[in-house]
Amino acid sequence: MAFPISRQKALREWRLYLFVLPSLLLVATFAYFPAASAIYHSFFDWSGGDTKQLIGFGNFSRAWNDRVLWGAFGTVGILILFNLFKMIPAVVLAVLIHRLKSERWQYAYRVLLVIPMIVPSLVTLFIWKFFFDPNLGVLNRVLDVTGLKHVLVWLDGRVFHWHIFLENVPVGWLSQPDLILPSLFIWGFPWIGAVGVLFYLAGLQSISTEIYEAAELDGVGSLGKFFYIELPLILTQVRLNLTLLIIATLQGYGLQLLLLGETGGPGGRGMTPGLWMYNRAFIAGEFGYACAVGMILFVFILLLTLFNNRYVRVEK
Amino acid sequence: MSGIAKDSVGARGHRDWPKHAIVGCLILVELFPLYMMLQVSFKDNAEFINNPWLPSNPASWHWENWAFGIRLIGPYIANTVFVAVSGTAFSLCFAILGAYFFARYKMPFSGVLWSAFLVLMLLPSVANIVPLFTLLKELSLLNTLTALIAVGVAGGQVFNIFVLRNFIEELPKDLFEAAEMDGASHFQQIINIVIPMSGPIIGTLAILAFLGKWNEFLLPLIVLRDKELFTLGVGLIYLDGEYVKQWGQIMAAYFIASLPLIVIFLFCMRLFVRGLSAGAIKG
Repeated sequence: MAFPISRQKALREWRLYLFVLPSLLLVATFAYFPAASAIYHSFFDWSGGDTKQLIGFGNFSRAWNDRVLWGAFGTVGILILFNLFKMIPAVVLAVLIHRLKSERWQYAYRVLLVIPMIVPSLVTLFIWKFFFDPNLGVLNRVLDVTGLKHVLVWLDGRVFHWHIFLENVPVGWLSQPDLILPSLFIWGFPWIGAVGVLFYLAGLQSISTEIYEAAELDGVGSLGKFFYIELPLILTQVRLNLTLLIIATLQGYGLQLLLLGETGGPGGRGMTPGLWMYNRAFIAGEFGYACAVGMILFVFILLLTLFNNRYVRVEK
Repeated sequence: MSGIAKDSVGARGHRDWPKHAIVGCLILVELFPLYMMLQVSFKDNAEFINNPWLPSNPASWHWENWAFGIRLIGPYIANTVFVAVSGTAFSLCFAILGAYFFARYKMPFSGVLWSAFLVLMLLPSVANIVPLFTLLKELSLLNTLTALIAVGVAGGQVFNIFVLRNFIEELPKDLFEAAEMDGASHFQQIINIVIPMSGPIIGTLAILAFLGKWNEFLLPLIVLRDKELFTLGVGLIYLDGEYVKQWGQIMAAYFIASLPLIVIFLFCMRLFVRGLSAGAIKG
């Protein structure tokens, strides 16, 4: 902890306040002021200029009846479920690397894991967009080469009647409304977040070898070791990751904006609340309404954070 | 961990090769997009359609794709380097000063100020972006790189101060007391004690900040209008929308966009890997 300090000494050391001043000014200008401004303007009909009209809760009652907004919350719910599933490979990979005997290999794998991180995330995103391209894209070619396409066509024609997968017609991953969500699911396969894996590995390192020896004497198999030793010990990291992931998904819209455009793709199937806010502000020029949407989103995130702090406590 | 102790981690009697196989496969698939980026960058569209998977013959590599990429992306990279370097430097300078304030003494009001910073962790940045845009307009910072730097520095303060405060508080108090006896000012104490002793953590934070700024695209997208000011983020977005897709050229541009990070990575690989794991523990 910081030293306690007497009042006289504090007065003499007043210059210390100058140390915190730059950060404080910056934060006040670029974080507090916009936040306050967002709350204030959510009660106005405002298109970003000087003229604005107070309309009370008008924006909020409009949001209450906004089908697109609530549809977007539904979409984001599905995306959160996808992302929960996508956490699994990182956990499995971390445990597998941890169990390797050779420390040299462990280090080598860690370095290999970090490599995708040095490619800008935007580039990764655009490479995936290229993979989804119907004519040249790698995804359709993989389907053709492996023959999976025939399976999908057969399933489509005989079982599900989606009318999405047709013989000799390239699959339009990002242009078929019904394929938007599946595309967002496939996106990023095999879903190994390097930060996540390193995060879990750091947690696994704290497991003492005696625990493993004891487990082995008791004849616990590798699956048992995973559920009784490894998973409980990295549960803190998993939970923390989970919270961050849910909050990031809830407010995220960069991925959707770049993959699908500002309308959320065909049929608006990829619309998220954040994207809707962006769309209203910068496409429709309805800044006041966009602020209100931002506030609603903020309330959701705040509730989630409070819930998390109360029930999903992270033990230090 | 010693080699002997390590043996008991892997189940005795089991071989390691199945694990190697799974881990290797997963990492190969993970690296596949990068492989595609690299090998497609040397082909033109016709070659790519005929032979999408394997690298083409080095004799017929299309180096002009790379020349095109450098011409196109070079200016964007210069802008991004400027924003990322100055943003990271300012961000860390201010954060060190701020963290020192919180860590050194319990000044009157420092508790209030601390909670004022912490509350910001709850504020999602997403709700801010619309008013931020109009604020920048009023400050006539729209269409400037200064706006990106200032907002970036402000955004990084909370996390950096949070990590650095904890770190500075762990430093031995005697050092500070001895320096004070010798008449060192607070500024001198920061230069001579705090910065030398927290080198690795500052390095890690710097890398994280730099990566974050390199990847930024939403703010530049709404702030920047002039092509001369584009950072990589906006530049790549326009590239994605504008050109009749010559995938070779585009992939070369993508690869060039990653080069500066690759250079940094090669020089501080250990800091990268350690830093990311350490940063992960701190949360």
